[in-house]
Amino acid sequence: MAAWPDSPQSLGKPTSRVDGVAKVTGAAKYTYDVQPDGWLYGMILRSKWPAAKVTKIDLSKAQAMPGVKAAVLAGGEQRTVRFYGQELAAVAATTKQQALDAIRAIEVTAEPLPFVVKEDDAIKPDSPPVGDGPNLSQPKVDSKGDPNIDALFTSAAAVCEAELRTPVQLHHALETHGNTVSVQGDHVVAWASTQGIFSVRDGLAGNLGMPQSNIQVICDHMGGGFGAKFSPGVHGGLAAQLSKAAGAPVKLMLTRLDEGLAVGNRPSSIQKLKFAAGADGKLIAADVENHGSPGISGSRKTAGGGGGADIALPYIYNFPNVHSQQFGVIMNTGPASAFRAPGHPPASFGTESMIDDLAVKLNMDPLQFRLLNDGNPTRQREYKEGAEKFGWTAKYKKPGSDPGPIKTGIGCAGATWGGGGKGSEAQVQINPDATVEVRCGTQDLGTGSRTVVAIVAAEAFGLRPDQIKVKIGDTNLPFSGGSGGSSTTASMSPAVWDTCQNALTALQTQTGVADARGAAWPDACKKLGINPLTAQGKWQEGFSSSGAGGVNFAEVEVDTETGHVRVKKVVAVHDCGLIINPLATTSQINGGVMCGIGYALYEERIMDRQTGLLLNTNFDSYKITNIADCPEIEVILINMPERGVIGIGEPAVIPPAGAIANAVANAIGVRVHSLPITPAKVLAALGKVPNVTAV
Amino acid sequence: MKPTPPSPGLDRRTFLKGLGTSAAVVAAAQGKAMADELNKATPPGPQGPGPVPITLSINGEKKQFTLEPRVTLLDALRNFGPLTGAKEVCDRGMCGACSVLLNGKLIYACMKLAIDAQGHEITTVEGLAKNGQLTPVQQAFIDCDALMCGFCTPGFVMATTALLNSNPKPTEAEIRTACSGNLCRCGTYPHVIKAALKASGQAVAETTTVINHGSVA
Amino acid sequence: MNPFEYVSATTPDEAISYIGKNGRYLAGGIDLLGEMKDYIISPDILVNVKSAVNPSIVFLKGDLAGWALPASVTVSELVADQGLRSTLPGLIEAATEIGSPQIRDMATLGGNLLQHSRCWYYRQPDIVCLKRGGTTCYGTGGENKYLALYSGCACVSPIVSNLSVILTALDAKVRVKRDGKEQTLSMHELYQEAWKNPAAHNALQPQDFLLSVHILTRVNRSAYRQVSEKNAFDWALVSCAAAGNVTDGKIHDARVVLGSIAPVPYMVEEANKFLEGKPLTDETASKAADLILKDAKPLAQNGYKVPLAHTLIRRTLLALNA
Repeated sequence: MAAWPDSPQSLGKPTSRVDGVAKVTGAAKYTYDVQPDGWLYGMILRSKWPAAKVTKIDLSKAQAMPGVKAAVLAGGEQRTVRFYGQELAAVAATTKQQALDAIRAIEVTAEPLPFVVKEDDAIKPDSPPVGDGPNLSQPKVDSKGDPNIDALFTSAAAVCEAELRTPVQLHHALETHGNTVSVQGDHVVAWASTQGIFSVRDGLAGNLGMPQSNIQVICDHMGGGFGAKFSPGVHGGLAAQLSKAAGAPVKLMLTRLDEGLAVGNRPSSIQKLKFAAGADGKLIAADVENHGSPGISGSRKTAGGGGGADIALPYIYNFPNVHSQQFGVIMNTGPASAFRAPGHPPASFGTESMIDDLAVKLNMDPLQFRLLNDGNPTRQREYKEGAEKFGWTAKYKKPGSDPGPIKTGIGCAGATWGGGGKGSEAQVQINPDATVEVRCGTQDLGTGSRTVVAIVAAEAFGLRPDQIKVKIGDTNLPFSGGSGGSSTTASMSPAVWDTCQNALTALQTQTGVADARGAAWPDACKKLGINPLTAQGKWQEGFSSSGAGGVNFAEVEVDTETGHVRVKKVVAVHDCGLIINPLATTSQINGGVMCGIGYALYEERIMDRQTGLLLNTNFDSYKITNIADCPEIEVILINMPERGVIGIGEPAVIPPAGAIANAVANAIGVRVHSLPITPAKVLAALGKVPNVTAV
Repeated sequence: MKPTPPSPGLDRRTFLKGLGTSAAVVAAAQGKAMADELNKATPPGPQGPGPVPITLSINGEKKQFTLEPRVTLLDALRNFGPLTGAKEVCDRGMCGACSVLLNGKLIYACMKLAIDAQGHEITTVEGLAKNGQLTPVQQAFIDCDALMCGFCTPGFVMATTALLNSNPKPTEAEIRTACSGNLCRCGTYPHVIKAALKASGQAVAETTTVINHGSVA
Repeated sequence: MNPFEYVSATTPDEAISYIGKNGRYLAGGIDLLGEMKDYIISPDILVNVKSAVNPSIVFLKGDLAGWALPASVTVSELVADQGLRSTLPGLIEAATEIGSPQIRDMATLGGNLLQHSRCWYYRQPDIVCLKRGGTTCYGTGGENKYLALYSGCACVSPIVSNLSVILTALDAKVRVKRDGKEQTLSMHELYQEAWKNPAAHNALQPQDFLLSVHILTRVNRSAYRQVSEKNAFDWALVSCAAAGNVTDGKIHDARVVLGSIAPVPYMVEEANKFLEGKPLTDETASKAADLILKDAKPLAQNGYKVPLAHTLIRRTLLALNA
């Protein structure tokens, strides 16, 4: 169905990033690095209380301090704050030190209110009300097949039931959220660390009451988003207000502590799962219940993308009969937002854990059990390819069967994702000296989208990617949607291709050269004379689709005397349609595995029940993976050009935790039912911690 | 096991007498050079808390600043340099994105006061490539795709550069240790290891297989 | 950070003359600057002491042969010293695990020994816990998976200095200048104040000047082991150091110490005495571990530290056989 070339020259070839030189030399200017003339430091004062009635915010001392050029309130003086870290006010000053001093000089009068920061507490009917309604939502109920599901469990050959938990996960992109906003009379230039320059533009337009066409948002380089960086955010609005008040550009970048408080997280989950299978190994029924917390709120209340607490239960397997209830629980903690494959990693962890337990109960190889119950033909292929590379059959042993204190185990898990995208536009300018510039208002979060543009244009024109100049990250360029949902490549590459095809047609018309591609390019361009050629284009059907997937195989080593888990090896097998740059796709998958390892073994946001505050405020206690935690990773890419371009960013992060949890259970013969799987939990699961039973 | 004295001839009495004497009799060569530089660069007596003149030697050039003592080297580089290669990410010495070399040693610029960095040779990522010629480490990072969003990249480039300066043919284990002070959220670690191996002229295994799949059904 | 004055001292006396009532010595700054950035402490003057003492690692011959380590030596310099590596392998093992390469290049022996609590209640900028002068130890009834199994006071924040643990096992002494004179303290004396006084991290006042650490080379074996959640650049959940003389397969003068489970490096004399003259086997090491851990008072979330410490004690002791 796709109309990409059959024997591409550039598509599908491993290609170094076109912004590589800028990044390795420090020349790349990120939002954090941008310094327009006369720029000021913006900083935010945040609530020290998890819940409080604020009656007064006195900015006067701050305003009088040296170097302070503006001070604004975030939401009025009388208000109720509902989470630790909620924005109260902001200042702009000439130096960072002056801004820090000014923030500390703002006096806030507030009456603390009762609060709740733990899911187990918030679920209770007597928990302090977080908002206007009850803390516990009505359930979202779903069912399929036989409504008398309990009977199916009674008669099934194998039933597994457990409560599994996943924590709140924090994005912690290395570049914090933030913007530099320069309000210049009736127009604005803003540099944003964002996944959606147009979402920032339109948000600032609303905040400032200005026409969208008067606002330019630039994002040349940004240091990671993972789903949390859409719209200007409260902080972007404050930067705009400060700039307006000060008459100067204001750079307001968040601190690392801020990142853990107020700008997004992956909701937690408390999953009660009950699965049944027949003696033949076929799944019969799933009864699932989830309580998840999106903190004070999700950015949208619906399940899946946007930060609501609903998760994709039961995940991917053919359950003919399902009963599902999902509850959201709000707490006095920072609002959730989309985080790389929202709803999927927790659902995958829970589901894949129970699938393995069922297989073990039926004395079946967990891989065979999956092949029997996962109807997706691509994942069937991926399991087979991955199992061979991984050596699954030779490595598989009954759970806990290694003698000695150091035990190895293996596990696997699958993933599904949408991806796909549409709506992008692009423009290309071809110059008489044969140079080419492609322009598209998309952004590159580290995904390599800038390089994809170069590759697609190179393919179209018969050139090399390094001969294509790429301009992205500017709302003055043709529209492209936000980089979320793993949709950028699928949205933007067809637009670039269409643009370049239009350009070739125009080039032929203007120069009379029948085929200007490749070796003919310089001469054809020369015939343009003194006028460069500009062509437009947009996304077309037939070049992209949706539906990507993958599987992970993991091998772990567990020291049963210390509880320490080490991931030794991961084989990750993924498909995402036509693979444009296997080098960058590999990097995305490596990155998904590393984030998944963090989710499986090290990461959890920890709130203190007594004070309502965040305890793990920086990287020594919010533990993202280190290079020492990186296993041997082998990647198999299933290239499916006939499906067009899809997207890989999110599928890559879904299966690692389930595979690792299963590998640990396989190693030690008992299961740890919550993430992260820490030494404390492993020792408890092994019965070595007095007074701690269920884990 | 018989211990071997590293400073032959220095007995307890002389050592204890040497403790607590002035910079003029500091014995160790590096200590002497440091103390001399410090005496030159730092006037006697407390400075601050307001801004004071500070001279930093960055990438071979002396730069003058007027900064409060509480300004970190990172802040000085980024906001007054302006050399924005070193990044502010955690500001607590926990992530390595601000890594620079101080007399060839890898340090966190966010945990070093600018005033305390005087008299030392500071190298930032901007100081590596000479005349636009990338170093083997920088080129290897590009070739092996050891960068994604790139925000951690200057720090990793500095860490890898420091490693190869002292250990030209490191093992994978040594690479991991040398880079263990640097975090990456995009997850480029496997490619960073490859880049370090490649930059040191060692073989790099291919770990990606592309299978061309026919139609789905 | 709040504003402060800055001065470099070239001798300990000069440093002491500047420190005043609210000053702090600046060595590596890894601990100090972190606390200042979170406004946990705000000294009015920082005195740079990196050049105040001779930074050479010295081995002294004679009847009291041993190592004299200046407080200003960096962790990297310790790790690089071949003499230390061959005579005190446990010290090198402990130093190698500290932080990251960047931290090891900046952090000093003295700073590592005197570093402040890493309890997240203590370090949280918006919480004033008992240790910071407030009235409540939040760790006791709160998120305490990283906190202590033992304490002599209401604060349950454990010591996290790797070097304090191994140096206690090595029975090191520290030379300190305080109240105008030089004193020698045992490791026990250096930390004991923290056992009973919730506000204390060690026995020194901010103006006391740590000069050097001395290790008499009495032992022919030493080892240090720790377990962390991550595989590098992570705080120890529990650490263990052991030292002694192994001759004819039997250990003498054993000293076994645990870190990260008490406000001080934790040693139980009864265990050391039990090991006297015994071979180091799984059985004797296990029994020693039982003796060390018998009075453990786990909090709600840190009970796992008991079996973890037991394992580490066994493994560290058995490592002395090598």
